[in-house]
Amino acid sequence: MTEARPGGGAPPARAAARAREGRWLAWLFLAPAGLVLLALVLWPIVYSIWRSLFDRSGQAFIGLGNYQRIFTDPDTFTALKNNLIWVLVAPALVTVLGLIFAVLTERVRWGTAFKLIVFMPMAISFLAAGIIFRVVYDQDPAKGVANAIITSVHDVFSSSSQYPGARPRDADAMPATDAGGFASVETIQPGSTILLPLVGVEAGTLPDEPQAAQPPAEAAGDQVTGTVWFDFTRGGGGVPGEIDDTEFALPGVTVQAVQDGEVVAEATTDDQGLFVLEGLDPGDVQITLPAGNFAQPFRGVSWLGPSLVTPAIIGAYVWMWAGFAMVLIGAGLAAIPRDALEAARIDGANEWQVFRHITVPLLAPVLTVVLVTMIINVLKIFDLVYIIAPGSSAQAANVIAVQMWAVSFGGAQDFGLGSALGVFLFLLVLPAMLFNIRRFRQEQQ
Amino acid sequence: MSAVTGGGAAAPVPPTVDPEAPRSQPVRGRETWGSRITGFLSKGVVSVVLALVAVFWLVPTFGLFIASLRSAQDNTASGWWNALTTPAQLTIQNYRDLLANEGMVNAFFNTVWITVPATLLVVVLASLASYAFAWMDFPGKDWLFIVIVGLLVVPVQVALIPVAGLFGDLGIYGSRISVILFHVAFGLPFAVFLLRNFFAGIPKELLEAARMDGAGEWRIFRSVVMPLGLPAIASLGIFQFLWVWNDMLVALVFADSSAAPLTVALQSQARQFGSNIDVLATGAFLSLVVPLVVFFSFQRYFEQGVLAGSVK
Amino acid sequence: MKRSVGIASAAALALVLSACGGDTGTDTPADDDTGAAEETTEDAGDDEATTDEGTDDGEATTDEAPADSGLALPDLSGEELEVAAVWTGTEQERFTLVLNSFEEQTGASIQYTSTGDDIAPVLTPRVEGGNPPDVAFLPQPGLLNEFAGRDALQPVSADVEAAIDANYDTVWKDLGTVDGNLYGVWFKAANKSTIWYDVDAIDAAGVAEPATWDDLVANSQTISDSGVTPWSIAGADGWTLTDWFENVYLSQAGPEMYDQLTNHEIPWTDPSVEEALNTLAEIWGADGFVVDGALQLDFPTSVTTVFSAGEAAMVYEGDFVAGVISGETDAVVGETANFFPFPAVGDAPAVVGGGDVAVAFTDTEASMALMAYLASPEAAEIWVAEGGFTSPNKSVDTALYPDDLSRGIAEGLIAAGDAFRFDMSDQMPSAFGGTPGQGMWQDLTDFLADPTDVQGVMESLEANASAAYGR
Repeated sequence: MTEARPGGGAPPARAAARAREGRWLAWLFLAPAGLVLLALVLWPIVYSIWRSLFDRSGQAFIGLGNYQRIFTDPDTFTALKNNLIWVLVAPALVTVLGLIFAVLTERVRWGTAFKLIVFMPMAISFLAAGIIFRVVYDQDPAKGVANAIITSVHDVFSSSSQYPGARPRDADAMPATDAGGFASVETIQPGSTILLPLVGVEAGTLPDEPQAAQPPAEAAGDQVTGTVWFDFTRGGGGVPGEIDDTEFALPGVTVQAVQDGEVVAEATTDDQGLFVLEGLDPGDVQITLPAGNFAQPFRGVSWLGPSLVTPAIIGAYVWMWAGFAMVLIGAGLAAIPRDALEAARIDGANEWQVFRHITVPLLAPVLTVVLVTMIINVLKIFDLVYIIAPGSSAQAANVIAVQMWAVSFGGAQDFGLGSALGVFLFLLVLPAMLFNIRRFRQEQQ
Repeated sequence: MSAVTGGGAAAPVPPTVDPEAPRSQPVRGRETWGSRITGFLSKGVVSVVLALVAVFWLVPTFGLFIASLRSAQDNTASGWWNALTTPAQLTIQNYRDLLANEGMVNAFFNTVWITVPATLLVVVLASLASYAFAWMDFPGKDWLFIVIVGLLVVPVQVALIPVAGLFGDLGIYGSRISVILFHVAFGLPFAVFLLRNFFAGIPKELLEAARMDGAGEWRIFRSVVMPLGLPAIASLGIFQFLWVWNDMLVALVFADSSAAPLTVALQSQARQFGSNIDVLATGAFLSLVVPLVVFFSFQRYFEQGVLAGSVK
Repeated sequence: MKRSVGIASAAALALVLSACGGDTGTDTPADDDTGAAEETTEDAGDDEATTDEGTDDGEATTDEAPADSGLALPDLSGEELEVAAVWTGTEQERFTLVLNSFEEQTGASIQYTSTGDDIAPVLTPRVEGGNPPDVAFLPQPGLLNEFAGRDALQPVSADVEAAIDANYDTVWKDLGTVDGNLYGVWFKAANKSTIWYDVDAIDAAGVAEPATWDDLVANSQTISDSGVTPWSIAGADGWTLTDWFENVYLSQAGPEMYDQLTNHEIPWTDPSVEEALNTLAEIWGADGFVVDGALQLDFPTSVTTVFSAGEAAMVYEGDFVAGVISGETDAVVGETANFFPFPAVGDAPAVVGGGDVAVAFTDTEASMALMAYLASPEAAEIWVAEGGFTSPNKSVDTALYPDDLSRGIAEGLIAAGDAFRFDMSDQMPSAFGGTPGQGMWQDLTDFLADPTDVQGVMESLEANASAAYGR
């Protein structure tokens, strides 16, 4: 208070002494953190670089051999490709969603509650999140929410078939058509009867009170009559192709008569499995069972199959991290001076223009931080991919960090290659780090 | 400010505007579309949209919660939503089993004994270092900070083997200390980054004034910087707490069975060949309680602090 | 001011507190000062936690010389051992009974560490860090080879070797040997030649137990005709597919060629491999034989698909399927769920199996005593009586198995004698035979997805094998 000379005005000797003391104190402040970082983070990097130049056993020096393997191994290439997809899609998606949520929650009173809900996944461990999504993406519509919703929606718009999976007893006499139905090879004449035994009828598709199959009645001159029944006796026994007492009729099957390539008659079997095709002209008649009888029910999408697994896992990632982006951006939003927005509005700009020309530019620093943090995060992604991808899609979902784990711990125990992958990953993340540094430098100015 | 208004507006605009009413005059092709959407977004619509999003966001977690209330047999037989229509299925047996398990209770305490020190240590070490970076002068300051920021990108796997060897030599491999130290090391880069940014934002005048009062660096640190830095420190604390509490990889490698935290102990509960949803879901929710409590109670510091550290 | 001091001291306190409290239990008994009383304490074997009649082999009371019929355990009072294995839950409880019995007979104290399903990532850093457990149970010979190759394992003592010679078939001794050194005691085995089926579905189809592969294919067709998908296959877990292949190959090509293929002495493009793959395709590729979405089914779900959801009639995997059935479904093993042995594909049926081998990382009296104990029938019989366990020890009294089913499984395994072969993929370098998404696992998954591409799969197998074996 007494020496109020602006610009630090102590005499030079004292200033120098102070500077020395300051420096010594600075080292003291830095020492604990520095020591820990040196020993546990910096040294492992050096060690990894060193180790990556050796082979599996750690004895033989192979120079850049491991790095060569990285570039020639198709698994690593897939991993690299996937990381690229991750980097291009996930951070952008997370940031955009975070921005949208942040902006929208400003307008509602219960914004905080919403933020808490969307942020909550961050408090859940990666293991739990992985399990949650394994269950959500379960292929079976009876178990996985995603497919349950999709199949329900699909079934609203389309009807299901009567006997999915059923087929004629004799595949040679009545082979499948391209459309999924079946057509008889031999033709018959009007006035004859035909037996159509089916197998592969699931128990659940039979009527609640199935009736015994009946042999067809005599056909009039312009008719073809027949029976469609389930040609299988429970417990075995029974003669294939013949109507046994124990076998059940199949009602509701559509049968068509085809002459000269055109459908001339159509009938549906009744409760005894009998049908009558009428109004047939003389000539060869081919009997067909259209595909609509047998179409398999829609079973949903294979979320965790090789083609969709990476997008599916990215979805899980977004679920976890959108809240993080939202909170950060929301905080940034709160810092924007209201008057700038108000002035713009008063000048006649609509909401979109305000958003686009004022809000977003002012948010640029926060958006950049979020984006860069996400990019770094995503390049290192391990837990989610490791837990969610099933073994059959492991290759398709592979990312570098998982490949590194698989190579080091997962079997081959090749720490040379694993270290090389680690170094490689580090090099990949370097641009993001340099960007961070550049920002820091700019701030200094 | 007027330079910003309606870039390219063709027609004069009436002085009193309702910002939420749809604009009818085309300004530029794309903006019409955008402005129509934002105009349409009245409070009610926004609320509905957000409500839908909130429900969608909650569904996965809710599903896991219901799964934890069903037996293993029920979980493999049908999806969790079936329990909503047959509430008789719900049972708290899974929770009872897990809580009765001594190993789990032990693991819970291990988790606390690992997470709290790891968080406190990171806060203390990073505060000291960040203050030095923000307000003290020493040679190589910039480069050192760059190196530390650079360490943000190092993946944990890189360090597992060498550090395991190091800890083995030190004789601490397998203990809680080894887990704590590892977490501290990997939490420091982000902590230093965050806190340094915040500390640098403290008004210089306050520090100058304290210096002129004769305070030394240490006193300034303790009585000026730390109190002011509380929001950033609190938010750092939350991040670090969450990360360490939920970690499994590091604990799996470095902790032996007596030091194992919840995440690892849960793994050991899993049947070797089962689908284990009942065990893992229950464990996940039991494990979730503490982080959520921490999160909710510190939430207000969190927003402030994160803002301060990043927008800087 | 006060606050920062407070924080600093709290941190220090926390650090100190966390260091204390709860022993780590990883001490390896450095000094063996209890070497004194050697073979004096000798109790009757397992009067402990077994419900059935006590065993009567080799229960000498107080003995001096360790006869090969008796089990002479030294006094290890005060010694501490750490044992690591993948077992959790019920299996852990039952195994602990075995350890307890050892503790009672010797006075040693044992700490059990469960490593979770993947033991290598937990053991490797510990070995590198110089702090391994005393004894660990490795689930694959491939791991045994790798650790032996790193000089991390201790060859067993003469006592242990004598016990192995007395109680095991040669094939098991060979499996525990690397480069002429005997390291391992095979304690737990799995019979992987069992096909499990839903009794109701099989009855409805009216098929009988198949004696040959062709019978099995015909049965599958009949089951399919009856309206039930015959097979549930876990395509997401590649290892189940390798077990399919191994059963077919062993039975078709015979044990000698099986060994050659295991050691990569014949290539994967050999005609015998082609024949096996074509045979597999008779089931994997037949229309409607395999349940939909098999490629996304993991092993436990493939079992519940049959016994819980009722969407398929049969699932093939080892005897541990019983555990999944009883743990996760409402089906009852022996009543609504049953098994038949994998039928003969070639001339004779074969038994492929797996197991867990105990290896010692430390060469102390306590470790070796435990190894000798594990090689004895007494130790095995403790777990045998509890269920969920198959012992490869031929001296075990099979009457102790809790039910006919498990007895049948065990006797099938022992009866195979030296014609038994260990799971091929578990014997190979793990990069080829033991890693999800890689090597044999991935190639067979690809084959399941497209069973017509035999040539392509063979070439990929050969390429991956060459890379993994290095030759």
